[in-house]
Amino acid sequence: MRSPVFFIVAMLVGLTGFVCALWIGNDYIFYAGFVVLQFIVLATAWNILGGYCGYVNFGSAGFFAVGAYSTVTLHKLAANTGRYFPDALLPVADAILPLSLPMLIVIAGIMAGIIGLGTGYLTLRLRGAFFAIATLALAVVLQTLVLNWSFVGGARGAYIIAPQSVAIGAYELRYIHYLALTMIVLSVLAVTVARLIERSRLGYGFATIRDDEIAAEACGVPTLRLKLVATTISGALMGMAGAPFPYYIGYVDPGTAFGLSYGVNSIAMPMIGGTTSWIGPLIGAILLGTLQQIATVTISSAVNLLIVGILLIGFVIMAPSGIVGLYSEFLRTTAPSKLNARAVGILVLASYCFIVGLGGVVFGLAAAMGAKNSVLAGLGVVEIVLSLAYLASAYGLTKLDRWSPLFTTATLAISIPLSFTYIWLDSSTLNVIIHACVLVIDIVAIWYLQRAEVTGLYRSETEQRVTV
Amino acid sequence: MNSLLDVRGLGKRFGGFVALDGIDLTVAQGERVGLIGPNGSGKSTLVNCMCGTLTNETGTVQFDGHPMNGLATHERTHRGLARSFQLPRPFHSLTLAENMKIPMFYTVHKRSGTPLHADDIDARCDELLKLVNLDQKAQQRPRDLTQVEMRKLELARAMAAEPKLLVADESMAGLSHSEVEDIVALLKRLNESGITIIMIEHIMSAVMSFSQRLVVLVSGKKIADGKPDAVVNNPEVIGAYLGQ
Repeated sequence: MRSPVFFIVAMLVGLTGFVCALWIGNDYIFYAGFVVLQFIVLATAWNILGGYCGYVNFGSAGFFAVGAYSTVTLHKLAANTGRYFPDALLPVADAILPLSLPMLIVIAGIMAGIIGLGTGYLTLRLRGAFFAIATLALAVVLQTLVLNWSFVGGARGAYIIAPQSVAIGAYELRYIHYLALTMIVLSVLAVTVARLIERSRLGYGFATIRDDEIAAEACGVPTLRLKLVATTISGALMGMAGAPFPYYIGYVDPGTAFGLSYGVNSIAMPMIGGTTSWIGPLIGAILLGTLQQIATVTISSAVNLLIVGILLIGFVIMAPSGIVGLYSEFLRTTAPSKLNARAVGILVLASYCFIVGLGGVVFGLAAAMGAKNSVLAGLGVVEIVLSLAYLASAYGLTKLDRWSPLFTTATLAISIPLSFTYIWLDSSTLNVIIHACVLVIDIVAIWYLQRAEVTGLYRSETEQRVTV
Repeated sequence: MNSLLDVRGLGKRFGGFVALDGIDLTVAQGERVGLIGPNGSGKSTLVNCMCGTLTNETGTVQFDGHPMNGLATHERTHRGLARSFQLPRPFHSLTLAENMKIPMFYTVHKRSGTPLHADDIDARCDELLKLVNLDQKAQQRPRDLTQVEMRKLELARAMAAEPKLLVADESMAGLSHSEVEDIVALLKRLNESGITIIMIEHIMSAVMSFSQRLVVLVSGKKIADGKPDAVVNNPEVIGAYLGQ
């Protein structure tokens, strides 16, 4: 698909989501959705430098905050033009300010892009852990600057009152809807840019930097220049993600804008999704972002980073190339050239196990922690253990060839009585529907596993290697 | 014949260890030069200094009439100085075909000034991979290759840059006798098409049949330079290899 077509299709998907959310009519969806979309932009931006070029950036929060504080600065200037501008410039300032949100985003992008370029120039001679430490230092330096800059509130923070609504033509749009819409456009833009880079000459150049810089230079790749391009684009996108943030949150202080969660999430999401393609950060951000929003409501907001941490460790140990890597590895070992019905079946099953497993961890934790009765708490613990088994088997489908069908069948079978118990404990319509779906899928999956000789699908790694 | 490569007084130290000590080397346009020497004699360091991977402390490198000092490796590659690595360094996350495309995208493309057509690139990829018998594996990744195949890929990738001077750093180590002959024949064909080649090799039969001139390095010093037959009978060279 060509990029303009991709952009339009992605926009349509985003707008469909927006319309659906409007139709449901619950504002919480917009507040939660905004955060998820923000993480899509951040994760995609991080991946351009971290995934494509292999340079791990720990300072994402710094770039994000540059975007947020550029909005704060411009907002403050706009609010008191008389105080900050000399009389001669006053009419000009009054004519330009206050800037619209898209303009603020563009300016934030330019600011963060310049900082990205500068940081890149100073630090890109460093490799590996040293580069990572330098980016961490950048975030700390920027935070210290903002802390001591009273114009933007310093340590006190700054209050930004967002307007109630925005008029687009004749239509009055509520501000949170406007913010969500802006973020949809921004994330579609970020993903399109990432996809465009990946498939271009530039993307190949980035890949050579990730694989072997010395060999890349010998092939004529101007590595330093490409790395500067990557830091600039990556930084600019992160800044753009931060620009609408003050209007969303209403109160910005250095602790929030430079928060740990931005740095950690923008690394964890691409790592979990898969760093080599544009779709990895997207999957990671949607999965982790949604999971965090659910956990915030069901358990507590403090457990967010714990989930991210556990998942990140799990993935780094078991599947360092992320979900996308697992899939492509699986395709490679099963049906390298053509995708047949069996391979698709196994893929669907693996993803099902994976999603149920993730859901199990969240809901299991929620049940175990906030249990009203001991049965539910016990179930929660069982669910956690079970979902870990699910996760392992979803993973095992790619590595532990011989055991995975057995393992998958067992975990699917155990989940059947569990679902019945859930229905018995809580007979609300939603719960019954969810677990009825789980039951149906479980049964179909077990039937499928028994019927098709799934083991025949796998060829061991050693068999693959022996090629004449 | 005018000289394509002109190295004068090249010196490189690693701490207190003198890796290269005032090397002079001139290679004429269209020449086939063999570079030999015992392990640790500075052959690869010389290549690295010529190609800009390492920075030499003294001396100058002139290529095609232009001084190369201070130029980054990729700029030297753009000017037509390509090399293969002693230990193959393929791009692991790219397929073989994509590996071949990198020099075309970044060197050939840049040199010609006009964008290459995608079909031309694919055709050229295919042609080069066929030369080293890897065309069947074009869509596989380097990890699926044997060590020998990786050496072939390394050489093919250096050729993809369409260089004026190709430095083949031990591209035949570990290859069977017939494969060595294939590669030597391949390099000779390349040479006939006008590419100057420096071959660094331990396999003497290959070096002897390939080279028009032989250069011997020992402990960072050039001890012999001349016709292959004369050089291998040089008492100093025999002494360096077999001991006094």
